[in-house]
Amino acid sequence: MLPAAALPATAAAKPTITLSGSTTVAPLAALLIKKYLRVCNHCAKFKLLQGGSNIGVSDVAHGRVSIGDSSRDPQSTDPGGLVFHPIARDAICLITNNANPIANLSQTDVQTIFDGGARSWTQVNGAAITGTIDLYTRNAASGTHDAFAKLIMGSHGVASFAAQYSSNGLVEQSVARDPHGIGYVSLHFANDVHPVAYEGVACTLRNAKSGQYPAVRNLYMVTRGNAVGAVYKFIHWIRTSGAANTIVASDWVPLH
Amino acid sequence: MRSSRSRRLISGFGTWSDQRAERTLGALASTVLILILGMIVFVFAKAWPSFSHNGLAWFGPGGNVDVQLGQIFKSPSDSQHWVYTMHAWPLLYATALTTVAAVVLGVVFAVLASIFIVEFAPPFMRTVLDPVVRLLAAVPSVVYGLIGILVLVPFVGNHVISPHEQSSVAYVVQLTGASLIVAVVILTVMITPIMIAIITDALRAVPTGWSEGALALGVNRWRVMWTIVVRAARPAIVAAIVLATARALGEAIMLSMVSGSVAFAPNPLDGFLFFLEPLRPLAATIVDNAEGLSVPPFAQTIYAFAAVLLVSSVALSLGGWAAKRPMRRFGVRL
Repeated sequence: MLPAAALPATAAAKPTITLSGSTTVAPLAALLIKKYLRVCNHCAKFKLLQGGSNIGVSDVAHGRVSIGDSSRDPQSTDPGGLVFHPIARDAICLITNNANPIANLSQTDVQTIFDGGARSWTQVNGAAITGTIDLYTRNAASGTHDAFAKLIMGSHGVASFAAQYSSNGLVEQSVARDPHGIGYVSLHFANDVHPVAYEGVACTLRNAKSGQYPAVRNLYMVTRGNAVGAVYKFIHWIRTSGAANTIVASDWVPLH
Repeated sequence: MRSSRSRRLISGFGTWSDQRAERTLGALASTVLILILGMIVFVFAKAWPSFSHNGLAWFGPGGNVDVQLGQIFKSPSDSQHWVYTMHAWPLLYATALTTVAAVVLGVVFAVLASIFIVEFAPPFMRTVLDPVVRLLAAVPSVVYGLIGILVLVPFVGNHVISPHEQSSVAYVVQLTGASLIVAVVILTVMITPIMIAIITDALRAVPTGWSEGALALGVNRWRVMWTIVVRAARPAIVAAIVLATARALGEAIMLSMVSGSVAFAPNPLDGFLFFLEPLRPLAATIVDNAEGLSVPPFAQTIYAFAAVLLVSSVALSLGGWAAKRPMRRFGVRL
């Protein structure tokens, strides 16, 4: 759960920047903050909290934090006046059990599998097993689900009988333990499972960076109104400096 | 003057008059009541739009809860057009099903185990069992959830359910191993130690004169336990059931991990498959969707789930109190 967020201090000498939100963005934000303090120690103090994309958006909209982290795009229900600053990109991998190392899935394949059109692995090209397909998805409020639905499913809905979990980790664990399973997770979570190539491109950091891998989403820092003062300086540093770019490139996909 | 003051400071609470103690403690106790009342009012105020838009249909079946939750989450920003449609029957049914099944299984097991611990167990076993039961009662539910998702769910999915069974219902529901049976088994394991702890205390509190009288008349130990001691401890058994039911009702994390996380209503007419079908109780739905609280109509729907749970636990306490009243006359109070 989200600990109580401290209000941004207004002390002119060393302003405090508070962040909350996406668990996908949090590790990246932590690394960026560490580097930023080394570059400019007197610029600001930081407090980093997690809680999920929607928590971040809601916190920043209510003025509880200075920056909300979000791994999903802006949406119609968001409060007005928010500015989404993209800071990095992140790939979404399709994963299957190691017993079922499918070489490749096209967008049409994925859509037929996840909307419930195909229910048996024998209907899927390249499947190493037979039997029923078990779908592992995320619930409606998830940023990863939002990206999956937009980037891959398009107008197709996800089948209503699909299991819905509340974190990347639970989806990964479930697929790792179910030979018939298929799911989708953020690139960092594709560890004990088989990452399936999508549209002929393997789901790797390198392919995501080169722009070949198509299912890539933005990670954002969100502010209420345009960023000003220390917050502006921090976000501007992330988006423009070489040092920040190096950090992003270590495990995520840089914007440029 | 000064010395009397420092004496008062040193003796502190010890010098309170009864009147003062009564007022202070009364104020503390009332604070708890006010907090509970405030919480109920708050949850209902938040939940009201969800109930008022759906009326009684909120509690009925119809459509798919997960699809409805998705539509509520994607409501337009204009509050005139917020979506509220929710037919929560599968969630209510799943909550009732897991809770009742686990409590029924648990209470049978707990009563029999308590009789053994109190009357039949050799002393060395008793000294081991007592602390172990109390330890089990305190294990955090997420630990049970981990064991469930890492061990039991894959076992049921890979060895109990046949591929034929999976494919026979593939277009309706997926049988992955996360199921009613796993949820009930783990829930039973979670709540039974609490019941055993309470019931053993109650059995021991039954005056020994009562059982000795029966033993002197030549009744055997099992009959004494069953007809006198357990009978006298009935109010405590009801209290144990109430506590265990409350824990089962509110269990969220473990159930969200092992129950299959899909709003499906298992159908008893499916025979054996009924036990292998997934479901998702109310409390698990709340934790799974807590991330979406920033969308107002979605939050109101989640609060409506919470309101139903709150009312159930209040009803549970009242029901327990009503059930215990007639038993009190010949029973042991606890």
